Amino acid sequence: MKISGSFLVPVPQERAFRLLQDPAVLARSMPGCDTLERIGDNEYHMKMKMVLASISGLFDGKVRIADSRPHSSFRLIVEGAGRIGFMRGDGLLTLTELEGGTNVQYEGTVEVGGTIAAVGQRLLDTTARMMIKRFFEKLTAESASSGTFSPTAIL
Amino acid sequence: MIPQDFEYSAPASLKEALELIATGERKILAGGMSLIPLMKLRLAAPEHVVDLARVPGLDYITESGGTVRIGATVTHHDLESSPVIRGRAPLLAEAAGHIGDTQVRNMGTIGGSIAHADPAADYPASLLALEAQIRLVSAKSDRTVPASDFFLDAFTTAIEPGELVLEVLVPTEEPKEGYRYEKVSHPASGFAVVGVAARIKKAGAKISMARIGVTGMSPRAFRALEAEKLLESGAGVAQAAATVAEGQEANRDLYASADYRRHLARIWAARALNVALSRAS
Repeated sequence: MKISGSFLVPVPQERAFRLLQDPAVLARSMPGCDTLERIGDNEYHMKMKMVLASISGLFDGKVRIADSRPHSSFRLIVEGAGRIGFMRGDGLLTLTELEGGTNVQYEGTVEVGGTIAAVGQRLLDTTARMMIKRFFEKLTAESASSGTFSPTAIL
Repeated sequence: MIPQDFEYSAPASLKEALELIATGERKILAGGMSLIPLMKLRLAAPEHVVDLARVPGLDYITESGGTVRIGATVTHHDLESSPVIRGRAPLLAEAAGHIGDTQVRNMGTIGGSIAHADPAADYPASLLALEAQIRLVSAKSDRTVPASDFFLDAFTTAIEPGELVLEVLVPTEEPKEGYRYEKVSHPASGFAVVGVAARIKKAGAKISMARIGVTGMSPRAFRALEAEKLLESGAGVAQAAATVAEGQEANRDLYASADYRRHLARIWAARALNVALSRAS
């Protein structure tokens, strides 16, 4: 399914771009992310526990950053598989400086398969949107606490 | 299918139940109409299930001082058929009658349904329109939350770890007010693609109070405050209903797109309001 939207991150564009590519920040912001380990250039191994109401599942997968055009756009590719199904998200994030922050526009596709897709179709879209919303809410909180900003940001 | 192994406790008192859920990852089982299918598909694999079936005294329906109190383990069928609910909170009885099928209504509970907070569940629309409150208790706390602060997002409520839904408090409807729950059922699951609960009070020919709750359309059920205001300031049903979906995110799936859901919400709001209006005196 196609997914798009935008969020306002209350920091200047350059900082927003770095935050969005900082593995430590990503690990803290992605809902359910347990570990995020670097396995290559702009590529990370991820373990994630998704918990939504009664549904819970462990996912093992990868996060990849591609087509990085510093401070204006990059692609974020997240894929994972677990016993309850698999998912793959591929989105282009475009950053534009606004007054009071940076507008982050995302546009991409999310594919979900396995048991979770077979029985949960009516909720996939709602769930995907909610996870993206939580990601940006956490990110906004992260951006407010500059002390935790990791110096190992990938530039 | 067979669920993954889990520990099972069936406490015999509320105190014991609250002690059990105070620590660790515990999942509460009431009617099991959502949890058990998920466990059988292994989409849910709780380590420890705490069953409320043997906790006495949670399935009451009482009314006093303008408030109907509904215990957490009251089933949908009990609500639908209770003379107290039919007489004092008929909107809720009407909504309960729309849930799932007979088997689900005989087993499923109001506490379980609202704690699960499916975005397409029937109760939230009515509970919002009725300005109901939900009482949450834990081993250490006891608090009451308005329905509008309870449903936070899809499958997300104000329930904190260690808390359970004890009861639902509903201010009684006046006999003169009109009410209606209208719903587009998903043909396979019976869930609300869109469900609208409406209440109308009249003063002469004018509408003195309007309450509209919408479920199914958005990740969380909401009150159509703008439409309520319009009705209370003399606008017609068509004009008010046209604003119902404004400013709200809309769900979409293979059955109904976001725009179609918005469209349904407007049309069904008008239908619910018209029936409520005709019932008000």
